[in-house]
This record gives sequence, C-alpha cells and structure tokens, in this order.
Amino acid sequence: MSMQSLNQLVARSIIDPSVVQAFSAGRMEEVISELDFSNDIHKRLAHLGAKSWAEYAVLAYRYVKAAEEVAVRIQLPSPLEGLLPGQERAEDEQAA
Amino acid sequence: MIPITREERQWFLRNLAQGLVNYMGVLEPPVPVEELLKNPPPLYDSDFGVVDMYSNLWDATFARPPSRRGSIFVRIDLEPEERRFVLARETLSALITSKHGRAMGLFDLLLPNLRESAEYFASCLLAPAPLLDAYQEQGGRGRGVARTFSIPQSIALRCWEDFASVN
Repeated sequence: MSMQSLNQLVARSIIDPSVVQAFSAGRMEEVISELDFSNDIHKRLAHLGAKSWAEYAVLAYRYVKAAEEVAVRIQLPSPLEGLLPGQERAEDEQAA
Repeated sequence: MIPITREERQWFLRNLAQGLVNYMGVLEPPVPVEELLKNPPPLYDSDFGVVDMYSNLWDATFARPPSRRGSIFVRIDLEPEERRFVLARETLSALITSKHGRAMGLFDLLLPNLRESAEYFASCLLAPAPLLDAYQEQGGRGRGVARTFSIPQSIALRCWEDFASVN
C-alpha cells in the first residue's frame, strides 16, 4: 500500500505544483499525512532530506521498497518454524 | 544529484507518465498524446506544442525558441504510430526543460540518460500498465498490442515483454 501511495504522489507531482511547493517549503509532512503510509514510513518520509523533489522521490522509493521487502520477509514462515512442531509431534509419538 | 539505478529511473518515469495519463482521464487505448500536446495541462501552456516539419535529418525534436512556446517539431511524413511514439518521446524533453520540470529537479535527474529515459517514458505514456492490465484481462495478446495501442510493433513487443515480466 505504501508503494502504491508513493506512486500516486509522484504521478500527481507532474501536474500538481502543490507537491513540489510543499517539498520546497519543507512541508512534506502535510502531503504525506494525506496518504496511506504506515507510521514508520510516514515519519521517515516526512523528514527525508533531499536537494530536489526528484531526488526526494527516489530516496523515498528506496526506503519504501526496503521497508516492504522486510515486511514480506517477516510474513514468510521460517522453514525452521515450520518443521519444529512436526518434529516435536514425532518425538511425542515415539515416546508414547 | 545522487546516483540512481536504471530501475529507480524507470520507476520514476513510469509514474510521471501515469500522472499525465491520469490527467487525460484515459480509460482505454490509444492514449491521445497529440491531444495532450495541443491542449496541455495549464502548468505546461508554454511548453507543449506540435509543429509539422519537412525534414530528412530527424523524426522529431523538441525546441524552445527564445521567449516563445516550446514545441515538438515533427516530420510530417511519419506513419501515425511512429508519429505518436516520437511525440511521446519528445514530451519528456518538454517536461524536463519546463519551469515546473526544473523546479521538480527533472533536468538533473534525467538529462544524463535522456534518450533512453525518453524512449522508456514514451512507452509508458502510450501503453500504461493499467491499460495493458485491462487489455490482458479482456483476453488481449502480445500480437495485438501494436494495433490496440496504436504504437510501432517494436515498441509494442518491448512493452508487452516488460509488462509480462512484472505480472
């Protein structure tokens, strides 16, 4: 969802000068607040330093992409976690 | 300017193109690129225009004569699909040299790889992913992309391959 929000923001910036004006005035937090970002990403994007809007967008992309990759890794079950309950059950069955 | 990868540049260009597609309210192909240039968003009133030219030197080029509206000068004898593609390609030059484009920092970000960036931008503008998605859902196949989106066959193949690799 965060990447989708960032995509929408970049798309909007090419025809809506208010995005670049907010960036230039150091008011990105106002813009970011209107979009669907998680708290961590919101905080990071609101205070991300860059020399231009384009540079800001690329840095934001890097951050959001990295955050989403971490989230995907966390959601995937570890192979170890998947095996342990089974192993325990097998041991229980042998003991019985 | 920070160094950026091709993937990052393409992501940025895809979204810029999508912004223009959204502005036009395009719901189905072909994307009316010449209409966009002739009736631009107010932000680009002094940047978008089309001038037909007789030339054997180039297919199209963007120029901004001093204190006049910027325009894409395009060869008059191009095939319609080729004309649409070169107009879309040169639109990026109009964007990055516009007042708003400079304020965005597009000039510094995109100038080092302008030709490659412009061709990628053009393919995204003429065959945006949401329209390709809808086309595929309706049973569209790779061989029909050029005709449906009214773009050159070589560009259509590349767009379809890119689209298929992501989806």
